[in-house]
Amino acid sequence: MPRYLVERTFPDGLEIPINDEGVAACLDVVGKNALEGVTWMHSYVRPDKKMTFCIYDGPDPESIRKAASRNGLPVEGITEVRVLDPYFYA
Amino acid sequence: MLLERSDQLAALAQALAEARDRSRGTLALVAGEAGVGKTALVRELARAEEPQARVLWGTCDALFTPAPLAPLIDVAEQVGGSLAELVEREARPYHVVAELVEELRAQAPTILVLEDVHWADEATLDVLRLLGRKLEGVPALAIATYRDDELDRTHPLRIVLGGLGSGADVLRIELRPLSPEAVARLAEPHGVDAKELHRRTAGNPFYVTEALAGGEGEIPPTVREAVLARAARLSPEATSVLEAVAVVPPRAELWLLERLAGDTADHLDECLASGMLSAEAHTVGFRHELARLALEDHVPPARRRDLNRAAVAALAEPPSGAPDLARLAHHAEAAGDGAAVLEYAAGAGERAASLAAHREAAAQFARALRHADGAPTSERAALLERRSYECYLTDQVEDAVEARRAALELWRTAGDTLREGDSHRWLSRLYWFLGRNAEAEGSAAEAVRLLEPLPPGPELAMAYSNMAQLRMLAEETEAAVEWGRRAIELAESLGARDVLIHALNNVGTAEGKVDAAVGYEKLERSLELALEADLEEHVVRAYTNLSSTALTEHRWETCESYADEGIAYATERDLDSWRLYMLGTRAVAALEQGRWDEAADTAGEVVRSGKAAAIHRAPSLVVLGHVRARRGDPEAWLVLEEALALVQPIGELQRLAPVAVARAEAALLEGRPELVGEETEAAYRLALDRGSDFEIGELAWLRRQAGIDEAVPEGLANPYALMFAGDWKGAFDAWTELGCPYHAARALGCSDDEEDLRRALAELQRLGARPAAAQVSRRLRARGARGVQRGPRPSTRSNPGGLTDREVEVLLLVSEGLTNAEIAGRLFLSEKTVGHHVSAILRKLEVRTRGEASAEAVRLGIPSQDR
Repeated sequence: MPRYLVERTFPDGLEIPINDEGVAACLDVVGKNALEGVTWMHSYVRPDKKMTFCIYDGPDPESIRKAASRNGLPVEGITEVRVLDPYFYA
Repeated sequence: MLLERSDQLAALAQALAEARDRSRGTLALVAGEAGVGKTALVRELARAEEPQARVLWGTCDALFTPAPLAPLIDVAEQVGGSLAELVEREARPYHVVAELVEELRAQAPTILVLEDVHWADEATLDVLRLLGRKLEGVPALAIATYRDDELDRTHPLRIVLGGLGSGADVLRIELRPLSPEAVARLAEPHGVDAKELHRRTAGNPFYVTEALAGGEGEIPPTVREAVLARAARLSPEATSVLEAVAVVPPRAELWLLERLAGDTADHLDECLASGMLSAEAHTVGFRHELARLALEDHVPPARRRDLNRAAVAALAEPPSGAPDLARLAHHAEAAGDGAAVLEYAAGAGERAASLAAHREAAAQFARALRHADGAPTSERAALLERRSYECYLTDQVEDAVEARRAALELWRTAGDTLREGDSHRWLSRLYWFLGRNAEAEGSAAEAVRLLEPLPPGPELAMAYSNMAQLRMLAEETEAAVEWGRRAIELAESLGARDVLIHALNNVGTAEGKVDAAVGYEKLERSLELALEADLEEHVVRAYTNLSSTALTEHRWETCESYADEGIAYATERDLDSWRLYMLGTRAVAALEQGRWDEAADTAGEVVRSGKAAAIHRAPSLVVLGHVRARRGDPEAWLVLEEALALVQPIGELQRLAPVAVARAEAALLEGRPELVGEETEAAYRLALDRGSDFEIGELAWLRRQAGIDEAVPEGLANPYALMFAGDWKGAFDAWTELGCPYHAARALGCSDDEEDLRRALAELQRLGARPAAAQVSRRLRARGARGVQRGPRPSTRSNPGGLTDREVEVLLLVSEGLTNAEIAGRLFLSEKTVGHHVSAILRKLEVRTRGEASAEAVRLGIPSQDR
């Protein structure tokens, strides 16, 4: 399954509290992603929390977009990526 | 008490309560591997809800080739009345569903269970598909269970499941194996090593239960052995009953068991008491299919053959009703009785075909053919032709070719030139479906050559009509009409209605390209005649060509309503080839109208169906390519490479042009105009020769955008003529009139007027067309427009004085004393654009002259060019 880097912008900043509410919010996203066969691996968030870079596995770009729209998440851009491990070359 | 199933049970109970209290019916899809406890879950629900809720139970058979509507026959037996009559009469799926829904309304609430639908026949799958749409307002909970680990990419159930979507009335429940904790709880009373048990069984409840039931706390090394060990504890008579039940999938009627097991049938109670078999109404079966398989495999070969022979004898004369040919064929094959398989499988195939279960029919004919080596040539050839036709209808075109070629060989050897010629005509059609056009042309000509010397008959008329079709598809209208005329004349003189319908369709489609009104008239007549005569294939062909003709004319509503009618018709009758083709047409229509989500969904359905023939697959790949390229999403080229590989051997303009257009568009949006020339060359030349004014217009426009300097062709479609004339607003309006928002915005984005560009940008952003929107906003900024969103590139906003990168570049050259013309040359811009940049710079820096701007640049510390 291809892996994608999904860029999202949040003009008002993305706040996910570290409590039950935050857990529920994340699990809700995971659950809705599953309906499209999409898996959220993890994300990198800019310190100002206005932009995120999310790593996803999914069957195709359309599934990534559909999962985003199920979750009401913005999509700025989708790029297919592969892992490069520098220590693999060591 | 079931372990780790309370959530799923609660969800089902909740759905049932909704059905009971508010008449909100639900279709629950319960998925999981074999032995995970799907049946146990549903039984637990039934146990808790009965008798307040009525429970109707239908099971799909694990036959090599399943019997049509088998689970519905079970259900009909439980309710009787008009549903039973209908199923008895072998009605079509949509009639069965209508009656079933009536029955569900009659007695509320009902739990309708369809078990093991991964083994369902085509007709039952249609029932499931239709039922999923009709439960709204019905006080019933329908539950379908299936093994999701046995569905390969092209399993027909997958397509049904995809089509059911995920609406509020569909509940998807996935059962997972038990956790180590749950296995430990089950293992505890037996004093066995729970960790080891979980490792060997992977938490599969059936494996766990069977392993534990092996007794004496001993864990058999494999589950198969667990099952066999359990059977071995029975008396020899009971074992013999078990073996008899094992050869009859999925359950044996009591009368059948008596015939198979003789006196030993008295020992059935022992089997039931052992828990290996369960009784239900008038049948007995294994508590689990895996156990049946293990046992069946274990029955000694000679005994297995005897049991199957006895089953054939018994089923040939059932105590009531007509013999079930599919079951007879199954047992005859297992008994190694070739002659009987040939008879029963051929009969079962005809019956399945008459029920529009074409895929099953194709499989039954294949089974018959496996045992037809000793049959007379004409019988074998006829079976091959039946198989070829059923494969053709269900989009198994490679198999259709293989069968048709074999039939052709037989006719040739037998010296039957008429059938040989007709076989060539058929091969021509099949090769065309596969995109092998050279072979299609060769076979078409060979058919005419062989048939013309014979007395004229429907075969020759059909060979003419086939020629007309090939010429029509190659957009050689005159030749198409001429061959069509010959076909129509001969067909009318012979009264061959199906040939007449076929020829009218071809001529209508060909003429429609020149004069739509004339084309529609012939196509409508062809559709009417085909519907009247209930000639399925001709009906769907008419719908296909009516919707394609409307598509090329941008008559979206007409196109979509023909396609929808056609898709509904093809779906009900298992005519996959045309269903996929018309889905592709619908995807293209959605794309053109700017409904990209829908376009990608529909195209995705076709592409994921996995085995679609080239003709059906290519348009949907093109749609996906357009959507991805226009959104700036990855993998546009992935699908466009495949599309190109599919259409190149076909060589028809109507396949080549869309692929060339999509590839050129993707190249331009990626900023690689240098690819456009080569990508469009072949299609453009062909289009200039015989293409429509829209095909020529789009290709010419893309080539112009790529900077290819060539003459503008004459007679372009109006919107393109306006674009080439630089009338952007006019082109925008013309495209909007046609209902093509992306084309409209793309044209307006070429304007030099700021107002136009802002409107184009807003429209492109609304469509989610990121690369095109970026191009337009670059043009806007280049014109010095303010407040143009440029996307997430924070560094560009930090230039002093609010200048863009481009403006800084221009300002530096201004400071060097270059004129606008010189700057234009240096930066590969038009002089006019440089003028816009300079005005923007003066405005932003609040200065009046170029000199003042240079001074301001120094004051602001804008770095010099050799920084």
